[in-house]
Amino acid sequence: MKKGLKIFAILLVAFITLQFWKPEEIEYSTPTKDLTNVPAEVNTILRNSCFDCHSNTVNLAWFDKITPANFIVASHITDGRKALNFSDWDKLEKPKQSATLFYAFNKILSGEMPLKSYTALHPSAKLDDRSIAVLKNYLATIAVRKPNQEIPSVTHPKDVEKVLPNKKITDYSKVKPTLNNISYIPNFRNWKAVSTSDRFDNGSMRIIYGNEIAVKAIAEHQTNPWPDGAIFAKTAWKQKTEADGTISAGAFIQVEFMIKDAKKYEATKGWGWARWKGNDLKPYGDNANFDQECISCHNPVKNNDYVFTTPLHLDINKFNIYNKTK
Amino acid sequence: MKPLHSIIIALIVILSGCNGNNKDNLNEKASVSALDALPENPLLLSPITFSINPNKAAMSTLYGNKIAFQHAKTKADSSYPNGAVLYEVNWKQKADSLWYGANIPDQIISVEKVQFTGNAVPKYELYAGHPLKKVSSNDENKRIALILSKRMAETP
Repeated sequence: MKKGLKIFAILLVAFITLQFWKPEEIEYSTPTKDLTNVPAEVNTILRNSCFDCHSNTVNLAWFDKITPANFIVASHITDGRKALNFSDWDKLEKPKQSATLFYAFNKILSGEMPLKSYTALHPSAKLDDRSIAVLKNYLATIAVRKPNQEIPSVTHPKDVEKVLPNKKITDYSKVKPTLNNISYIPNFRNWKAVSTSDRFDNGSMRIIYGNEIAVKAIAEHQTNPWPDGAIFAKTAWKQKTEADGTISAGAFIQVEFMIKDAKKYEATKGWGWARWKGNDLKPYGDNANFDQECISCHNPVKNNDYVFTTPLHLDINKFNIYNKTK
Repeated sequence: MKPLHSIIIALIVILSGCNGNNKDNLNEKASVSALDALPENPLLLSPITFSINPNKAAMSTLYGNKIAFQHAKTKADSSYPNGAVLYEVNWKQKADSLWYGANIPDQIISVEKVQFTGNAVPKYELYAGHPLKKVSSNDENKRIALILSKRMAETP
């Protein structure tokens, strides 16, 4: 009994001593005003569920201030603000604001956000079905094209795209590699379409091309994980509304590559990530670690080997069965 | 100790079941099936461009065989040479379960084949239904004109 008391006393002293050791002071409680152009109801939800780590306004509970919990809290807040800080909302251009909200909402839908370790201790930050519905309805109103929007068939295209002068690049070896050392792959247009995607959130449309190894992997059901050598090229165009209300591929926006090599790209989840933007194919990224941004967006689909695309079944053999029996 | 062991093993089995990767992540429903009565699998040809019809919640991809693809790539006109074959594959759209803000292909509604045989008017075939079967079309000329008006999606 006496021994037990001694241990308890030692632990208590250690605990109290620990309290003098605190993480570096971070800006805890600068008030953040409501997000401009965002309805009050949406602001309330974001403030309640996201602002603690994603703004300069933090509402700490008493237990968040105790060492060692405060160290975890401080690191969450630092990381959270680095990824997204709603206090900087007004610095973002409008399309970027929309993209940020769609991105954040998809992180919520995938269950990645808010962090489980955070909601375990702050259950009020959890989003209920009603809050999710409020966010979803709001996002539908800010999508570049409204989901299931009826486009009257007689209207003329609102913004007439300038027909680009045909300044096709002739020497692809002059296209600069990305800062993580990936060279441009010019021949992806000869690959097969693994799928297509209608991004009404940002008014773009995409064909996801797969190289021969990727297509073979699909035929053989070896898509999780994808085999080394598999490459995807996700090509995005602006949605262009035609006079009959249909939408065709307008100006080229960018092409993004995912190159599988479990060993070579071990540090970046087994994939080489690259993106070239615009008609001059400018490599994306300010430094060699820009691919962390790619990974963080693809993280919710890590159980699909970080691939968002659900491929069409491009099985040659399966189709031949029919022709044989015919 | 024994019951504890079995509990731990049971937990491992359950948890690994939850975290297991999805083995079959293919969009089977949007693919060509062995039962579809198509002359070939158009999804294995070269994609030329794609389009969306929001009024019908549908999306279409225009595919070409080698001759058609080569023509689309180099000449921006509708005078495809003899031997060129185009397929317009039309899908219903569905919401992408992995990204709110995107639609992806659901079931195939129809497949249209336009074949250049040397005649003044190319040969048109329409496949529809589940499974896809050859059916007759009422607006063949309109559809041919529309399909031939499509140009290769531009990349630098």
